[in-house]
Order: sequence, then C-alpha cells, then structure tokens
Amino acid sequence: MHPIETEKLTKLYGKTKALRELDFTLDEGEIMVLLGPNGSGKTTLLLILSTVLKPTSGKASVMGFDVINQSTKVRQVLGISFQDARGFWRHKPIEILRFHATICGVPRDRRERLIEEILKDLELWDARGKLFMHLSGGQAKRLEVAKLLVQRPKLAIFDEPSSQVDLRGKRIIWDHICKLREDGSTVLVATNEVREAEYLADRITILDEGVKVACNTLQSLKDSIAGGDIVELEFEAKDNKDMAEALGRLEGTFRVTKEEENHLRAYVSMAEEWVPKMANICYQKGVKVVSVRVTEPSLDDVFLHFTGRALGAASS
Amino acid sequence: MTEMRRILQLARTDFSYFFRTKWLMAVLLSLNLSDMLVIGLVYKGLMTVNYFAFFAPAVVVMGLFMGSMDTGRRIWLAFREGVIQYYLSLPISNLGVVAAYLIAGSLAAMVYSSSLLIVAFLVLPAQAVLNTLILLPFFFILAMGLAGIAAALAALASTHGEFFFAYQQLFQVLLLTLSTVYYPQSVMQQYLPSALVTVASANPLSIAAEALRDFVFTGIPIQPLVIVQLVVSSVPFALLGAFAYYKALQTLQTKGKL
Repeated sequence: MHPIETEKLTKLYGKTKALRELDFTLDEGEIMVLLGPNGSGKTTLLLILSTVLKPTSGKASVMGFDVINQSTKVRQVLGISFQDARGFWRHKPIEILRFHATICGVPRDRRERLIEEILKDLELWDARGKLFMHLSGGQAKRLEVAKLLVQRPKLAIFDEPSSQVDLRGKRIIWDHICKLREDGSTVLVATNEVREAEYLADRITILDEGVKVACNTLQSLKDSIAGGDIVELEFEAKDNKDMAEALGRLEGTFRVTKEEENHLRAYVSMAEEWVPKMANICYQKGVKVVSVRVTEPSLDDVFLHFTGRALGAASS
Repeated sequence: MTEMRRILQLARTDFSYFFRTKWLMAVLLSLNLSDMLVIGLVYKGLMTVNYFAFFAPAVVVMGLFMGSMDTGRRIWLAFREGVIQYYLSLPISNLGVVAAYLIAGSLAAMVYSSSLLIVAFLVLPAQAVLNTLILLPFFFILAMGLAGIAAALAALASTHGEFFFAYQQLFQVLLLTLSTVYYPQSVMQQYLPSALVTVASANPLSIAAEALRDFVFTGIPIQPLVIVQLVVSSVPFALLGAFAYYKALQTLQTKGKL
C-alpha cells in the first residue's frame, strides 16, 4: 500500500481542467516534491488529497482510505500546510497552535513543550502574543508550517512552505521538513522554487497543465536529458582537431564544439561515465588535459526539457 | 480524541471568537440597552400596558436573536479568511463542523441574552427565578434554530459579506414585524389580517417573548404546551440551517468556491 495513490484523477473547475487523469503514487518515508508553475494543478491535487476538494472523477486514497468515502479517516492521518496561511484573525499564534494540536490529538503532556520548541525554532516566539491579523506575511506563513511541525502527522503535505519567507527562514523550514521525514512521516511538498525542490526532494514529480510529465529522482531526471551534462576541456596543445572527432564518436556524446584553440565543449549524457572514457582516449593519444569542468543541467533545464518551457516563464 | 470532543473543541474556539469582537458586542449591547431604558421609559407613559415590563423581554429575545445571527457573520468570516478549508482538513466530519458552529452560536446567544436578562432583573426583579432556569435550555434550542438560519444566510451570501448583512436585515424585519416581540397581539389584531396574526403567534420569537413575560416577569407557572410550541417552532429552523450549511460545505468541496 502506498501512502498516496491516485488513479485517473480529474478535477474540473467549470470548463477548466485542473487535473487530467492523473496517476500518482507516493512511497512511504520519502519526500516527494511536486514541481510545476502556477496553474499546473499542484494545489488542486493537494486539496483533493486533504479532502478539502472533491475530485470530478477518478480515485484517490491516502494511507488506504478513500478521500471521498472515508474523508474523516483521511483527515486523521494527514495534515496540510496551506499555500495561504489560514488562521482566525483575532487569535494569537500560540492559541492557534494549541487549538490545532488539541484537535489533532497531540498528547497533552507533549503539547506545550512542542509548541514552545517549534515557535522558538521558527522565530515566532516573540510574536506568540500578537493577533494573527497583525502578523507579517512571512510570520503567518511560518505559523502555517508550524501547525504541521507540532502535529507531526503520518502524511505531511506542504504547499509552497517557504514562499514569502526570507532565506534564513527558508533553510530552517526545510531542515524541519527533512527532520519530519527522519522521524517517520511521509512528506509531499508542492513548489515552484527550484532551490526548495533540490534541497528537499527524494523524488520529483513535474506537473504541467494538470498532467504528470515526469517522476523520478533529481539525478535520474537530469540524466534523462540527452546531452544535458556539459564538459569543458582545456588542453595543453592548441591543435586538437583529432580530439574533437574522437570525443564526438564516444558513446554518450551529444555534440562537441570548439570554443578556442585549446578549449572544447562536449554536450554529453551522464558525464560521470563519459569523463573516464575521455581520459582514456587522451592517454592513448598522448594529449595532456589541463582542466576538466563538468556542469550538470539545472532543475530549470530539466523542466524545460520535459515541458518545452522554462519554469520561471511558465510560473509568470 | 472522539468526534464529540472535537466538535466541542471547535465550538469552544468559535465561541471565544464571538467575544473577541468587543467593539461589536459593545455596540449591540448599547443599542439593546438604550432601546430598553430610553424607548421603554418614553412609551411607558403613552400606553395602557406597562411598556417597560413588556419591552424588557422583547429586548432579551432581540439579544438572543442578535447573538444567534452573529453565527452567520462568523461563518462568513471563516469563508472569507479561508478558515473553512482549514476546518475541512481537520480530523472532524463535515457534520461535526456544522454542529460545532450551531452549538457555539447558541451558547454565544445565550450568554449575550442572559446578560441582558440580568440587566433587566436589576430594574424589574424576577418573580420566578426557577422558571427562568427551566426556560433557559429551551431558549438554547431556539438559539440553535436562529443560528441555523444565520448559517443558511451566510451560505446563501457566499463570500459577499454585504449580501449576508442585507439578508440578515431582511430576515430580521420579517421575523420581528410578524411577531409579538414588540407589539401585543391585541394591537396586531387591529391592523393585520388574521392569517398574519396567526403566523405571528406561531413565530418562535413571539413564543419566547410571551414565555418570558408570563413565566419570568409575571411568575405564572410554566405551561408545558408553550415549551412544546417553542421547541417545535425552533427545531425546523435548526435543521434547515444545518442542512444549508452542510450543503454549502459540500459545494465548497465540489466547486472550490461557493
């Protein structure tokens, strides 16, 4: 049994298709990142899984419970941190966390200590007595994340957990999410931030216009781009015409370009396998290599490869 | 934690929210008290009945009405602030959310109207404290009915708060005009068709106001038939409101908005 399983999951808002027959699974104990631009269906998927929305068609289950027919059971095993912070405007952060912890069944003896610890870690302790409506955007967002960190559900769902949060705060939140996974929770994170995805993901699912276009580990996604790795080679000698031809024939080479007299650039698949082969050829030909620099494709490149659009452009 | 404890937890949170809008409570209370103290005194000299004795129960019932109606405002706020979606992700059923709001709304209304009742007692000492205690649970049922109506209006108004207040005013005018809260039945019979007078006498607000006048301020022993009438006329409101709010939650889950 997967913690999350969807089968042909579809959601329509009027005539707009937010999700199109999505098949999606999540493995126990992993952090899965849903990556996609605004409007790709990430939030809709999370809201369906957390029973806030009902699908138009298809099936979805959480920890074996059907999200439509067993919604109360589903709510008992998961927690969601919403994209926009949800709170009672006239309640204080500490009261909001107490309410959340109590209704989610956090034992009384651990509740207060846990709340204090999380508030301090997320730098909200000084703001614990402020009304929710007086919190800054970043503080409200951190409070939203804090609810799940106090609840520690079996399945934790975060929708853009560090949006509106400063760099320091982002790092703290990401570390807490990783710790949540280490403590036994399965985590699903939706984001359109490349750095967040790279920091957190065990696996990444790329969603675009309600369709899953790729799902794998970050490294596998990068490796799946033919010619995605760039190897810059600098030779001692200036005339290296034979080398360009020889490297071009190597398995895994996409193309080789000559940048300068003693400088070649090779576009290859899986540079970690290609570089030893290249070194072997250089040795056989007696060519001295001054430097080798390998550049992997970024997650942006991965997104571009699978969707035909850059992530930044798609989000805007 | 059981479903019932979660319902009570949610009700407690919503109940506390009622008292966090202090300025609103102050305005409502001052309006009701000025009604009771100023208008009552003016009319006392103009009418044959002791209008203050007549008017104090009316204001208490009005307080119950206003307190219950505030449930709708809080539901509308919860829709606007996205708190409803948060509730739908918590380990509580949709029916539990509905029940929690109705319980919290009724409790808030009871506390609010009871405070008015206590103020009224300062001027007109109650002749039957026991009768008051007997009546309070049934007033709770009436408050739940009114809270249900407020929930239905909030669901109808969707995310447009101004519509909710317009609907509330319309409902208030209809329910209070066609009641014996502010006018004795004998006066209504002079000006309104008999069908409307019948509607007014079946109005739960009329029944509550008359019960207060007879059993609390006059001290007549409580008649069970009146209690039955109060319950029978209130329960449909509560059921209707609960159903409307429940449907609103379902609509929110299906369409993503109201």
